[in-house]
Amino acid sequence: MLEAIGAGLVSLATPQAIAFMVIGVVYGLVVGILPGLGGIVAIALLLPFTYGYEISATLALLLGAHIATIWGGSVTSILFQVPGAAKSLALVFDGHPMTQKGEASRALGASAMAALLGGVFGAIFLAISIPIVRPVMLALGPSEYLMLALWGLTIIATFSEGSLLKGMIATALGIMVAFVGMDPITGTPRFWFGIIYLLDGISFPVAMIGLFAVAEMIKLYVKGERIANRVAGTETSTVLDGVKDTLTHWWLVVRSSLLGLWIGVLPGVGASIGGIAAYAQAVQTSKTPERFGKGAVEGVIAPDATLGANEGGGLMPTLAFGIPGGESMAILLVAFLSMGIVPGPQMLTSGLDIVFAMVWIIVIANVLTTLLGLAISKHLARLPMLNPNIMIPLVLSICLFGAFATRGTIVDVIVAAVFGVVGYYMDKYDYSRANFVIGMVLAEMIERNLHISLSLYGNDFILTRPIALVMLIFVIVTTALPFIRTWRKNRVAAEAAS
Amino acid sequence: MTTRIASLLLALCLASTANAASVVGERITLIVPNSAGGLMARYAHMIAPFIAKHAQADDVRVRIMTGGGNIRGTNYLWFAEPDGTTIGFTSIPSLILAQLSGSEAVQFDTTELVYLGRAATEPRVLVVGTESGITSADQLKTLGRPFVYPSQGTDEDFYSMVVLANALGMELKLVMGYDGNADTAMAVIRGDGDGQITSWRASLGTIQAGDEHPVITLGTERYAPFPDVPTATEVALPESREAVQAIANMLDMHRGFFGPPSLDGQATAELRAAISAALDDPELIAESERQRLPLIPSPGAVEQSKIQQITDASTVIVPIMQAALERIR
Repeated sequence: MLEAIGAGLVSLATPQAIAFMVIGVVYGLVVGILPGLGGIVAIALLLPFTYGYEISATLALLLGAHIATIWGGSVTSILFQVPGAAKSLALVFDGHPMTQKGEASRALGASAMAALLGGVFGAIFLAISIPIVRPVMLALGPSEYLMLALWGLTIIATFSEGSLLKGMIATALGIMVAFVGMDPITGTPRFWFGIIYLLDGISFPVAMIGLFAVAEMIKLYVKGERIANRVAGTETSTVLDGVKDTLTHWWLVVRSSLLGLWIGVLPGVGASIGGIAAYAQAVQTSKTPERFGKGAVEGVIAPDATLGANEGGGLMPTLAFGIPGGESMAILLVAFLSMGIVPGPQMLTSGLDIVFAMVWIIVIANVLTTLLGLAISKHLARLPMLNPNIMIPLVLSICLFGAFATRGTIVDVIVAAVFGVVGYYMDKYDYSRANFVIGMVLAEMIERNLHISLSLYGNDFILTRPIALVMLIFVIVTTALPFIRTWRKNRVAAEAAS
Repeated sequence: MTTRIASLLLALCLASTANAASVVGERITLIVPNSAGGLMARYAHMIAPFIAKHAQADDVRVRIMTGGGNIRGTNYLWFAEPDGTTIGFTSIPSLILAQLSGSEAVQFDTTELVYLGRAATEPRVLVVGTESGITSADQLKTLGRPFVYPSQGTDEDFYSMVVLANALGMELKLVMGYDGNADTAMAVIRGDGDGQITSWRASLGTIQAGDEHPVITLGTERYAPFPDVPTATEVALPESREAVQAIANMLDMHRGFFGPPSLDGQATAELRAAISAALDDPELIAESERQRLPLIPSPGAVEQSKIQQITDASTVIVPIMQAALERIR
């Protein structure tokens, strides 16, 4: 194995591979920053230009670009509440409040460092996990995925401060919007009112662009203030503060990386769930969960570490079974086959050097992305200080272009604008927009996996699937924990007072 | 009198020339009812300039018209002028199935569309998991229990499976709700499902690893790299062979060009010839290799005849499909 690890690194030491890696990372950062475009688009656009080059160089270009898009998406989530892709959604919850407090540099530093550590831990865990990945993947199925989605759903309580009813209403609205379009079970059109556009459902990135970015610009216009509440030049935080934060919360990084790796390993569980689940575990294991949603740096570190590690996990279904784990891996599979590589378990024996070349690409691309990210963060952090007269048209143009680019239809631009108005009023009247999108993301996953579990294992599936049962108990305990802590704290305070 | 007759004939000739539509020098719009970054759009962008070249058209512009699972763009094409300046390119099976399944949004009739040629097709296969204990097509007929089929929706593979199950006389348990090919493949390998229909390319890794075995090819002929795997028509019960052949024909049509109903005869001939010439163009073949978008062309006239076979068999297929839809709803 050591030989393969060395051979994998050596294969990337050619001028072509190095140049391709740098090009891929820079290109990925740009694509990631553009809302609505993600890693899949980045790889798909690059694919025609990879013909006839070295295998390692081709993989460096494609994987490097894919990895860099992740941090690109985090940047816009933190600075402008615009998740570059669905998976960056959880970065909005605490990253943007940090920007509003004048801590954009710190948030960007923490985000870049967490993504780096997540990527590196993910790659290391991936290498260690190779012998056990097959049995673990075979042990987990739809019932366990359902429990994972339920776990993600528990964080709605975090965003329901003030009124749990309002939080529940926002979540229910999100679930209802997710139901528009073809039913994933039977293909029956739901809530389409004879409008063909609605048959495809409401695009999640489009709804997010509207709910967060467009709504924020409406808010800026109405208030006439800058995004950051402090004036330019008074920001006290630095990128280094964020780096230190990440190193201080090393155990959170390790936990989140492991979570990200295994979520990436499981086909059918998207990275957007990964970010939300990472956020949920950060909240539920924090001694001060009340800080979340208001600019807690742990709320940035956990999702970014998860997303960083997720990519390594995403390789596993392809390597262990020859099944492309997601859309981006399906595109990579096309590249593999045309390069004469047939993905599958044999890669873990005869093609181990290629496997480790990919592991190295993940590590190096993460390092490059972080170095570039840390270098530009200081400048990026000044963007929210821009005058609203410049900021509003600039951000709105990019966002509405992003809304159009997701599916190439002008109706999506109108839908983004409508969601912008909805988001503005939800924010004004304290209906959590975070809960809305969590409902929207998790609704389909819960619906799908509940139906499959019932069909395959019967009504009492939870009793016949021991891992799912353990996960359910875990969900109940972790949900109850913050409430028990608050109850204890109040009791201690009451005793002290008496 | 003679002069009058000659004048009348000349007028008729001129009138017929004026009515015949040629695409030479025209700007052609190629409607692609699929997503902007998808494979179908990439194929269209790659082939369009070569159609323009061989049709001597001014330009062939690709217009992406996403919506309703290929329905919106095809509805638009259905009402287009039949002069050859508006044509379409998409997955033909998805159009046929949308119509046969009785989708409320469909305004077109696939039997009246004019087929101009196929660019590519990808043979499909029924693979079974090792855990299923099934090793051959014959075993499916005497399974003695329902065949569990994990499905990602009411797509081509879903309908192909229900027709195939009927043709083999086997009971089918449809488990709906899986999210993509990776999810269904994992279900089969885990043993939650018995088998899945997928493309040969997507299942190559799992077959070589021994996690899945190919048992039936859903193409019109056996797949060359696996010559021992029989086609669905070969293993179907005699009374169901027509239905299975129709499904095989339908899947075989795959990525195809088509025009609106009553497309002008001259425009049809020109476009069919231009598309065939474009797909044989060495420059396009080289480009398709560079972009990794393989071409497996078939002439428009051949594709048109397949539609007739599918229509003839629809009286058998439609009730099977509708019964399956009733079961899952």
